Amino acid sequence: MRRFELILPESVDDCVRALAQRGPETKLLAGGTDLLPQLKNGLLKPARVIDLSGVARLRAIEPADGQGLRIGSAVTARTLELDNIVRARYLSLAESGALVGSVQVRNLATLGGNLCNAAPSADMAPPLLALDAEAVITGPKGERRVPIAAFFTGVRHTVLAPDELLVELVVPTPAPHSGGNYLRHTPRRELDIAVVGVASQLTLANGVCTKARIALAAVAPVPVRATAAEQSLEGQPVTPDRIARAADLALEVARPISDQRGSAEFRRHLVRVLTRRTLITALARASA
Amino acid sequence: MSTVMKTTRDVKGIGLSIPRPDGPEKVTGQVQYVADLSPRGLLHAKLLRSPHAHARILRIDVSRARALPGVRAVLTAADIPELKRKAPTRAHAVLAIDRVVFAGQPVAAVAADEPAIAEEALDLIDVQYEVLPVSADPLEAMKPGAPPVADAGTEADTSEAQAHGSVAGVTTEAKPAKAVNISQQARIQRGDVAKGFAESDVVIEKTYRVPMVHQGYLEPHAVLAQWDTTGFLTLWSSTQGSFNTRSEVADVLELSENRIKVIPMECGGGFGGKIRALCEPITAILARATGRPVRYVMTRREELEAGMPAPQVIIRLKTGVKRDGTLMAIEGEAVLESGAFSGAVLAVSGVFLASLYLWPSFDVKGFEVLTHKPSIAAYRAPVAPQTIFAIDSQMEQLAKAIGVDPVEFRLRHLQREGDKMANGQPWLSNGGAEVLTRLAEHPLWKKRAEWKASSPKGRLRGTGLSLGGWLGGLQPTGATVRLNPDGSVQVLTGQVDIAGTNIALAQIAATAYGIDVDKVRITTGDTDVAPMTGLSAGSKTIYTVGVAVMEAAKDARNQTLEIAAKELEASVHDLEIDNEKVVVRGVPDKGITLAQIGKKGNLYMSKVQPVLGVSHPAFSQQAPAFCAQLAKIEIDPETGEVTLHDFVVVQDVGKAINPLAIEGQMQGGAVQSLGMALTEALVYDDKARLTNPSLLDYRKLTSADLPNIETIIVEKPSPHGPFGARGVGEPPIVPAPAAIANAIEDATGVRLTELPLTSERIALAIASAT
Repeated sequence: MRRFELILPESVDDCVRALAQRGPETKLLAGGTDLLPQLKNGLLKPARVIDLSGVARLRAIEPADGQGLRIGSAVTARTLELDNIVRARYLSLAESGALVGSVQVRNLATLGGNLCNAAPSADMAPPLLALDAEAVITGPKGERRVPIAAFFTGVRHTVLAPDELLVELVVPTPAPHSGGNYLRHTPRRELDIAVVGVASQLTLANGVCTKARIALAAVAPVPVRATAAEQSLEGQPVTPDRIARAADLALEVARPISDQRGSAEFRRHLVRVLTRRTLITALARASA
Repeated sequence: MSTVMKTTRDVKGIGLSIPRPDGPEKVTGQVQYVADLSPRGLLHAKLLRSPHAHARILRIDVSRARALPGVRAVLTAADIPELKRKAPTRAHAVLAIDRVVFAGQPVAAVAADEPAIAEEALDLIDVQYEVLPVSADPLEAMKPGAPPVADAGTEADTSEAQAHGSVAGVTTEAKPAKAVNISQQARIQRGDVAKGFAESDVVIEKTYRVPMVHQGYLEPHAVLAQWDTTGFLTLWSSTQGSFNTRSEVADVLELSENRIKVIPMECGGGFGGKIRALCEPITAILARATGRPVRYVMTRREELEAGMPAPQVIIRLKTGVKRDGTLMAIEGEAVLESGAFSGAVLAVSGVFLASLYLWPSFDVKGFEVLTHKPSIAAYRAPVAPQTIFAIDSQMEQLAKAIGVDPVEFRLRHLQREGDKMANGQPWLSNGGAEVLTRLAEHPLWKKRAEWKASSPKGRLRGTGLSLGGWLGGLQPTGATVRLNPDGSVQVLTGQVDIAGTNIALAQIAATAYGIDVDKVRITTGDTDVAPMTGLSAGSKTIYTVGVAVMEAAKDARNQTLEIAAKELEASVHDLEIDNEKVVVRGVPDKGITLAQIGKKGNLYMSKVQPVLGVSHPAFSQQAPAFCAQLAKIEIDPETGEVTLHDFVVVQDVGKAINPLAIEGQMQGGAVQSLGMALTEALVYDDKARLTNPSLLDYRKLTSADLPNIETIIVEKPSPHGPFGARGVGEPPIVPAPAAIANAIEDATGVRLTELPLTSERIALAIASAT
């Protein structure tokens, strides 16, 4: 690991000030589970590292003005996995937190790190897309909100400017009779990265699907919503045939590559399988 | 050698399950590894490695690196006069001279005050490469006109095969003139295979592929080097064989061996990957250049990119059988991809293919092929898991095709003691049939039809088994056993304990001498003080060093009794050792304690010789050791996910010296075997660059993937091992790939022939079959 200057802000304002002075060779450190291996292997050689561990606001989970939940960007995967409110309202997000790495990794890895790292395979992105979450971003010009679906701009790229910080996610409370599910496939049970990840979220009213969300990871440069599949479900009862058709339609947005984790062919195969399975589970949870 | 010990009571020795005494200090981080040493003035080494698999080095500019404060040396090949252009082994290729032949090959070396400074210095070294075409695929590399790997005239390296004492008598063929990357070639044949196939009712032909895999030891390669003012070199090394390391470093540095001392440090795993010297020479050269102690510890990424993995093995097999089950003929080619330097154990593959089962006619060819990838080394039973995957899969399919019981089919054709192997040598005593028979009696095998029938909706269940083994290694060795003045016993060997062997050797000494094992201390000495000792490899530590310790302990016992006979004025034949006392049989109150005898050997002006038992045997008879494994699995056919529900390992160990340690070997070997079967592969792109250089994407199995692994020890004594013991380290890594492939076919009807048997391969095969 190369030598670097370490900056330890104690508030969001401190952090924004430090970012304002940042050169191009500054990196933010949250859990470090992505950053440190890259530093150790010499893939990243930043001159300065800003350690966010002293900024309490980034680790908070609190109600958001009657419209859902604010989840700080430095909330750990382990907290998402175990938090009672997250589990009760946003089970798919808790499920994505529970799948990251191992327990040791989850105790360090953060929501913001998972999103800002902007890997196509980021596990927490599909549930947040399916839950219509918004990213709260702050910088020298103040705060702005971006729908999570617009947060990612490419592989390892986001809308964050070099002097901006992801503060928290605001997740709306789902309507009554909603249910969601996140599933991913990995070659190994733990300590692995999604070959494909799928989150589904359904809302029912009088037996009819009023809202459907399906989001996919690791099949395109950024996490994507399968809108054609969503629309095929909305406005009617969710039947096994319609689920199968939605699973086929989900393929339309999948533009997977072949890499060391899986071939494009296998990824397309998995999109269909996992979309169907998450819809079946989401339906059961919404109906419960 | 006699194996009957005369003691008046059973001492605490062989046969007891004793936990490793070094366990607690290892799991609490107290053990000192090379990386924990911090001598005064220590410098840290880093290597600049080539990003290209094949390139000419046009220019190296190290001036900016040398100018960085804290940098003490920056070396290139031009600074090292001993380097040979035609490096015969990887160890000799200390730094690339003018051409790199694999991605990750060291090009320059830095020693600096801090690791971070050494890394910064690497960034400041400017190398200009002319990128050359690569040989990335062994089958392409075999063809005339393929980009050449070795410099013309480089000799094949067969020392690995010799180190494993594995196989003699395989004909070596002259290689074709224009296929420049075929470094070794062999053929074994008997009878008329064409006629055999013509008379067969069923002929099955398949090609099996096993990728390069990494041994995955926890501790990466690490060495610390220091020279004294007289030009004497000391190496603290994580090695599987200190004397071998000394010889290789002496050869590379053109030093006399008695100018080098190798101190074998606690070795955090080797599995064959720490036999050959790797980073010892460059570390010694940096220490010489700086006049300071220098340490080099490889990173995990360097281990995966530029370690010494197991070869890729591609085996085409064609086998014929009559409908009544008679084997007729086998024909095959085994291609072993050796990477950039020769060194594969070619003959193992041929012998297992042609002579595990009794084929009336066979024609098997083997090729070692060089490619622009890191050179390979041994990995726990080198080439045996790969070969058994092919031949056992083939036997299973033949049995299925003619509708006979697969266990009976294997047992009917399994070669037994005295049968001639393909190389003409007879099979020695072994428990191959015994372990397979024992496994077939297991309830999980007997109830396999019920398991299959119990598959829940959307899942497929199956059971598979396989039989494999290892021929056993040999190497001369030595041990001493002395009696201390307090009556305790001290054993000295040079054997590196990589597998819990020291406690087993202490148990052997205890039983052979006639004293409880807690009174025995065993030490692994360095190359200056220990008797010459071989590698910790080839499943031969207990089989060979165990004999040396046993004989040295008997020698010490006899000396003890002779001293006691004089003191007690009794015949040596009437004496026995009981409870740390030599007594006259039948007269329990007449005796002399071991402490009294020990003191007499250490008193000023004493006329009694100190007790020093010595043994330094050589060996000629191997002890083949077999292992049979069973996998009970469930498959999600849509995702291809395999759930291991149960795994059973049955192994012939000859005599279990320490059953607990053996069970650990059986389980550990099974885990590595299952990793090869299911997830592990070094994956290279078409430029021969590794695409998965981390343990995230090079997938060793974790505890979450593994079931309970049941161990069943079978004891068929070997004629020559200590107390009948056989080697136990290697057999359990051999059978799982075939057992899993057989279980997958049982569950799904799909036969897979390429490892690893990933969820992707399984799911796509099922999808295309339905």
